Amino acid sequence: MLSRAVILSANALKGRGHFGAGLVQASRSLHTTSQSLAPVPPLPEKGGKVRHGVFPEELFQLLYPKTGVTGPYMLGTGLLVYLLSKEVYIVNPESFAALSITSVIIYGVKTYGPSVAAFADKLNEDKVAKAQEVKDLAMASLAQAIEDEKKEQWRIEGRALLFDAKRNNVAMLLETNRRERIHMVNNEVKKRLDYQIALQQLHRNMEQEHMINWVEKNVVGSLTPQQEKESIAKCITDLKALALAKATA
Amino acid sequence: MTLSMFDQFQSPSLYGLPLITLALTLPWVLYPALTGRWLNSRVLTLQGWFVNRFTQQLLLPLNVGGHKWAPLFASLMIFLITLNMVGLLPYTFTPTTQLSLNLGFAVPLWLATVTIGMRNQPTHALGHLLPEGTPTPLIPVLIIIETISLFIRPLALGVRLTANLTAGHLLILLIAKGAFVLLSPMPAVAVLTMFALLLLTLLEVAVAMIQAYVFVLLLSLYLQENV
Repeated sequence: MLSRAVILSANALKGRGHFGAGLVQASRSLHTTSQSLAPVPPLPEKGGKVRHGVFPEELFQLLYPKTGVTGPYMLGTGLLVYLLSKEVYIVNPESFAALSITSVIIYGVKTYGPSVAAFADKLNEDKVAKAQEVKDLAMASLAQAIEDEKKEQWRIEGRALLFDAKRNNVAMLLETNRRERIHMVNNEVKKRLDYQIALQQLHRNMEQEHMINWVEKNVVGSLTPQQEKESIAKCITDLKALALAKATA
Repeated sequence: MTLSMFDQFQSPSLYGLPLITLALTLPWVLYPALTGRWLNSRVLTLQGWFVNRFTQQLLLPLNVGGHKWAPLFASLMIFLITLNMVGLLPYTFTPTTQLSLNLGFAVPLWLATVTIGMRNQPTHALGHLLPEGTPTPLIPVLIIIETISLFIRPLALGVRLTANLTAGHLLILLIAKGAFVLLSPMPAVAVLTMFALLLLTLLEVAVAMIQAYVFVLLLSLYLQENV
């Protein structure tokens, strides 16, 4: 609302006195362009269209409604004929030189034009391709980073399984350890009991031997020499009897 | 006849105003200004590529002290080549056919190189006056000859450019005149003459480019000796 008042008063002041214009300038009511330079407007991709290399297409479009397709050509021919016949343009040796240099230029443009244009385009394209490559590499590495991150997240999900397996492992180890120790205890106890048994056996054996020895000693001691002689004589008579029996048998 | 043939080399003026100023400054509009854009039009891209390649090639043999002359050499080359090529168009005036202009370029630039050499490394600069491996009795004569050769350099630079271009333009005029005159009596001969003119035009295009390049190349060589 206030800006409207400013514009109206500025327009009113336009013609007033020596400083009226300055006041108008201050409110930009006569300016047509914007105050900002960004974004930069894009350049046209191709140059203006031309016919026969020098005449802009706009001329033909301009003359088309009134004179049709052949209009500009008639204009050109008429102009040329006028210049020559009225000797506004005099044919002199320079014209021949003009002819030769023009043909050289036309030949040059026709022959080398496309390749030079392609070269210029290639220079620009290489520039764009280099930048694009940087961008593509960055994007590829970032996409790869996303993939890796997803994989890591998936791996994290399997964490529970991992811990279960680890827990199982540990339990098994503990169990193994426990059984080993029980086994060891068993062995130790068995060893001690075996020792006791062996000790008892030993005692019994020793007692038995001792007793046998005592009995033998006593028996041998109780044998008198008379008994010995009698037993020996008996043995001899027995033997003789046996020998006799055997001899007769 | 002789007067009219050399009329093309008269410095042109219109109502007393020297038109040579226009001839010297208007070729500037042929080259589009550098925009601040990253990707330019074909003309600008080619222009940038050409100037870069040319400067790189020219400054290869120079050491770092000579790199200060890069803008001068590049702009001089562009200027001379443009003047020469535009001068081949019909009804144009070639400023480089004027000895005054060419000497005006050659003498100060040559003198600059000599002064730089004398000021910064006088022994080395004076050493150029005697090539290596000369037999002793020849030394005095050779020094005199080399000094003369040194002082004739600016003259040679200027006159080379002037003579080449003037001769080329004169030849074009003569042969065109021959074709023109022969056109009514002997058209076949006129056609042959036109063919010769065509070949000559091709030669002149080449000469125009080569002479500009030679001028700048020789200056860079003189600089290389002295810097």
